[in-house]
Amino acid sequence: MNESLLEIVCCPLDKHDLDLEVIQRTDEEIAEGRLVCTECGEEYPIEDGIPNLLPPDMRDG
Amino acid sequence: MGVLENKARARLFYKYLSKVYDQVNPFIWNEEMRAEALSMLDIQEGDRVLDVGCGTGFATEGLLEHTADVHGLDQSPHQLEHAWRKFGKHGDVRFYFGDAERLPFADGVFDTVWSSGSIEYWPNPIAALREAKRVVKPGGRVLIVGPNHPDSTLFGTLADAMMLFYDEAEADRMFAEAGFEEITHRTMGPSYSPEIAITTVARVPAEGEVETELAA
Repeated sequence: MNESLLEIVCCPLDKHDLDLEVIQRTDEEIAEGRLVCTECGEEYPIEDGIPNLLPPDMRDG
Repeated sequence: MGVLENKARARLFYKYLSKVYDQVNPFIWNEEMRAEALSMLDIQEGDRVLDVGCGTGFATEGLLEHTADVHGLDQSPHQLEHAWRKFGKHGDVRFYFGDAERLPFADGVFDTVWSSGSIEYWPNPIAALREAKRVVKPGGRVLIVGPNHPDSTLFGTLADAMMLFYDEAEADRMFAEAGFEEITHRTMGPSYSPEIAITTVARVPAEGEVETELAA
């Protein structure tokens, strides 16, 4: 996920902004990390560069 | 009720089930139909477009002919893996796992939202349409391709039990309830079944415009 996409993504539940926690990055591309809702604290993983922004009840479905 | 009778019923049911699945099979959504649907929009190079339920990326491919800034969202990794093989997992097309009814995007960040072959699986299509409207900027357009409702009453009833089918009147109602305006439809399909799909384009009201409230 490119870091610039932080401007357009939001929490699917309450639509608040997300904070980025980087685990692994190459320049502006985040390979592994987490997106954390600034309001509800829900965490959304970034795995192999793809942000998983499914609401928690739909993950691993 | 005997076992055979049940099996016979099951076979009958399956016969119609297969027929319905043939009708919504992605293979009948072909390049000509895709081009016709794309012509209902006016996507400019540089426009940011979201493909909701992008699946294997068939529509994504068509959208890329109009703009390089295409974003694909799907809930299924199995489908997305096909798309990644076409466009690269970390290439120009940006991919997300997400839910059509609870989009993970801020208000008004897309010029256009496109969704083909996905609405029939949405448990609450009006919620998903409202979300599409929310993430498109005021004055922008949303295009949805779905299965046109079969005319035959028996077949229609069976179809309704399986998934969502709708006709122009129903599409008008859904899009109006979700707050859209300038709602237009076109039915399309291959020569052997020319009205199999219904494509709807609708406009998000521009800023300052008063939305028409539907009488409850």
